[in-house]
Amino acid sequence: MAEQREIWVFSEKPALLAELIAGAKTLGGRRVAAWVVGARSSAAQALTQGADRAAWLGDTGGERLVEDYVPTLAQQVQAGAPAVLLIGSTRRGRAVAGRLAARLDNTVLTDVLEFQSEGGDLLIRHMIFGGGAVRVEKALAQPVIATVGSGVFAPLPPAAAAQGEMVEVPFVEPEWRARLIERKPRPPAAVNLAAARKVICAGRGLARQEDLAMINELARALGAEVACTRPLAEGLNWLPRERYIGISGATIKPDLYFGVGVSGQAQHIIGMNRSKVVVALNKDSSAPIFQQADYGVVGDLYAILPALVQAIKARP
Amino acid sequence: MNIIVCVKFTPDAGDIQVNSDGSISLERAEWGIGSFDLQAVEAGARLAEATGGKVMALSAGPRQINHSKLKKDLLSRGPDELYLVVDDALQDAGTAATARVLAGAIGKLGPFDLVLCGEGSADLYFQQVGLQLGEMLGLPTLNAIRKIETAADGLRVERDLDDEIEVLAVPMPAVLAVTTDVHEPRLPTMKEILKAGKKPVTEWTLADLGLSGGLAKHSAVVSIRAPHQVQRKNIRIEGSPEEAAQALVGYLNKEGLI
Amino acid sequence: MSEETFDVIIVGAGIAGCTAAYLLAQQGLQVVLIERGPYPGSKNLSGGVLYGRVLHEIIPNFWEEAPVERIITNQVISFLAAEGAFNIDFKNEAFCKPPYNAFTVLRAKFDRWLAEKAEAAGAMLVPGIKVDAVLRDSAGQVTGVAAGGEEMRARVVIAADGATSFLAQEAGLRERIPTAHVATGVKQVIALPRETIEERFHLTGNEGAAYTVVGYATRGVPGGGFLYTNRESLSVGLVMRLDDLVRTQSKPAEILEDFLAHPTIAPLVKGGRLLEYGAHLVPEGGLAMMPRLYTGGMLLVGDAAGLGVNNGFAIRGMDLAIGSAIAAAGAVAEAKERGDFSAQSLSGYQRRLDQSFVMADMRTYARAPHFMHNPRLFHAYPALLVDFMTRMYDQQGLPKQHLTPTLRQTLQDHHISLFDLLKDFLEGARAL
Repeated sequence: MAEQREIWVFSEKPALLAELIAGAKTLGGRRVAAWVVGARSSAAQALTQGADRAAWLGDTGGERLVEDYVPTLAQQVQAGAPAVLLIGSTRRGRAVAGRLAARLDNTVLTDVLEFQSEGGDLLIRHMIFGGGAVRVEKALAQPVIATVGSGVFAPLPPAAAAQGEMVEVPFVEPEWRARLIERKPRPPAAVNLAAARKVICAGRGLARQEDLAMINELARALGAEVACTRPLAEGLNWLPRERYIGISGATIKPDLYFGVGVSGQAQHIIGMNRSKVVVALNKDSSAPIFQQADYGVVGDLYAILPALVQAIKARP
Repeated sequence: MNIIVCVKFTPDAGDIQVNSDGSISLERAEWGIGSFDLQAVEAGARLAEATGGKVMALSAGPRQINHSKLKKDLLSRGPDELYLVVDDALQDAGTAATARVLAGAIGKLGPFDLVLCGEGSADLYFQQVGLQLGEMLGLPTLNAIRKIETAADGLRVERDLDDEIEVLAVPMPAVLAVTTDVHEPRLPTMKEILKAGKKPVTEWTLADLGLSGGLAKHSAVVSIRAPHQVQRKNIRIEGSPEEAAQALVGYLNKEGLI
Repeated sequence: MSEETFDVIIVGAGIAGCTAAYLLAQQGLQVVLIERGPYPGSKNLSGGVLYGRVLHEIIPNFWEEAPVERIITNQVISFLAAEGAFNIDFKNEAFCKPPYNAFTVLRAKFDRWLAEKAEAAGAMLVPGIKVDAVLRDSAGQVTGVAAGGEEMRARVVIAADGATSFLAQEAGLRERIPTAHVATGVKQVIALPRETIEERFHLTGNEGAAYTVVGYATRGVPGGGFLYTNRESLSVGLVMRLDDLVRTQSKPAEILEDFLAHPTIAPLVKGGRLLEYGAHLVPEGGLAMMPRLYTGGMLLVGDAAGLGVNNGFAIRGMDLAIGSAIAAAGAVAEAKERGDFSAQSLSGYQRRLDQSFVMADMRTYARAPHFMHNPRLFHAYPALLVDFMTRMYDQQGLPKQHLTPTLRQTLQDHHISLFDLLKDFLEGARAL
């Protein structure tokens, strides 16, 4: 019977999995099954985070890729016929989702921001055009396969005791394997932009990398973190990738966002426009950022930044 | 190595027009090669040059892609041949349908060792077609590839994941979705632009690929609207640098930020 | 390494460049047309009105295939004062019939079409490339161009690279252009529904209106305004001399906003939606600014040759560009026959130009730039006209006077002497 069809959630990241479990529980009162790759304890943990049952796929053992579980998952989906399959939107998650969907003659609704039930239909909302537009779609496929990013749902507080069954799922050997030669860890992020209460964002208005010194000084004076727009991180490599704000970078909601020499392209705005107060400094009065700003200063940043730092320091 | 590079021509999302009722129009937008595809083209061109093979560029889309400016631009960046599947039904095709069309076109191309795609399209950025395409072709398929090298037993790739980099050996033929780090796209030279006009272009319709029965639809678009804008104060601060600085400090103080 | 030497390299795929490319390719020459923008027209801006007869001569009935906007049938000269306007409104049904007189065009569309014609004729378009040097041999003959370190050679280079032609300077044909010889044009394209445009400007079908505005439009900065009707939009803007802008420290964009807010202009643009904003340099010096037009292996055409006429009634550049391209193509074809691209051989270009309407008109309007810079034209006369007409119409219950005393009184009140008025009138009659 349709009502007995479940919502399945999968993510190789336990924290994201917890969010998806919570989100799944808001989708029409179905039972939630969590699919877990990793330690057995992670599967058990899922049961305390709201999953009605947990399916443990096993541990990669450092040899297998997460993606190697695609054939296993495909077989299980065909047998278990869930109504919805939510997959955490990470690079690995997207790979799993896409390949799984192709196996099942299905597709993936990506980076969903909101689910809505209308009649018997499931509607999803996500961004397109680099953040320039919101698209609402009605899912037509069975199951509905969707990826969801971190921060869309909030995890439930863990229950004291786990309720629900856990099963072990046999591994189906994939048709091809990419052989893992090495894992190179990335240095841990030096900054947690999402946690910063105040952020100064440097844009292409800065002529030289050395000018970041002015930005740093202002940041120190204000007690703010330093961020940048995508070109400064990905093209010019003046700052590490973790510091860039934008639709494919970090999304922040600080009390203060201060853009210096930032023009305000849609792809960047989408990453910061939920800030409480937005200040912009740019020499071009027609820069789009001014429409997104509470306080806009049209002028030369090379003259105004030093004056600003001085004015802040001069306060009693 | 013979390499197929899949490219999406898209309208420039920066040219988006928002109507007063919140609806969106891209009618006045200029079409171009997707900004995430340029790096895939460059990676393909470099690999072909290094290994003495050829690059076949492939694109599927509505009639707007069949424009000499777009074709020439793509052919001036390294590909030796261009294959276009042109059909207005592709205008709003979903990723699975697009992947199905590309798979069908690839079936008509000669032998190949590698298919390269950008991580996502410039307009939608769903980051799916490359992955779905590879699976439909039944080939080793990986995304987030930031480096590709040839090795004795196939390819050696680096995969850029959120918390680490996987170095992998991948058998060929394979399908790889590459990140923007994989190669800085070249600036076409005058000579390459001139040569582009003489390279072979093949055009197919969906019927040519045996897909005239229509494309699968897994979702229906309900609406496309401008995102809700937070109403900002839009206060302009003017004057000399010192005056502006003082004014701004005053406002920041009032907002309780300093 | 032997590399191909083309017959012609044309730098700049604007009106002049595309026309020359079209004509030369048609005659079988190997033509490379280089454009720095991503597509022809992307970097170009005109008001813009195209006086089409000359194009009709080489592409008969071009309006049937070219993306022209409207056929100009209504011409208005508007003298704008602070709170009023004195308009001369002219319409002639004759302009509604082929071969028509003038059309409004949008350069991004129009240049693209013209470039496609050139490509169809066999010209090889190379977009997205910025030429940064001229190649010369030991004798000083121009032998090609360089871009980003890459060289391309040709028997002759046609410089169609616009008002601030870099190539003209590189080849030693001119010095830096004084800011008095160049104007900044700023323009907005404002979307309005067809029906609104037709209703507001009293047009039927594809008829169009062209406004030339003098006076308050530019807030006392010497220059003028324009407003042209396109199919579903208005092109409206201002042209002001660069030296005046610098001297008065004016911001063109702000002056344009004021212009659009003027009580007689605002109703014309009301309800419209801004589609584009752009600025571009325009040659404004007339005959005096024209450089030497050719040297061994190189010719200048279009704005690069300083070709532009602003006689108060009409702002012309595109038709002159086409005229110069026709002359250039003729001269280059001849030079190719002779196998001689020396300066001597290319002097045929100057001869053809002199014999055409292009130089005839440049000479006719040689005094226009000076006259158009007359401060009374911007400050005094528009206010005078509006005031005079106001006095004629105003019924205050006081005794009215005849025209002549009213005029004399108005002149006096505006501190304009009859002498100046007559002098300006005569000068205008000779210059325009």
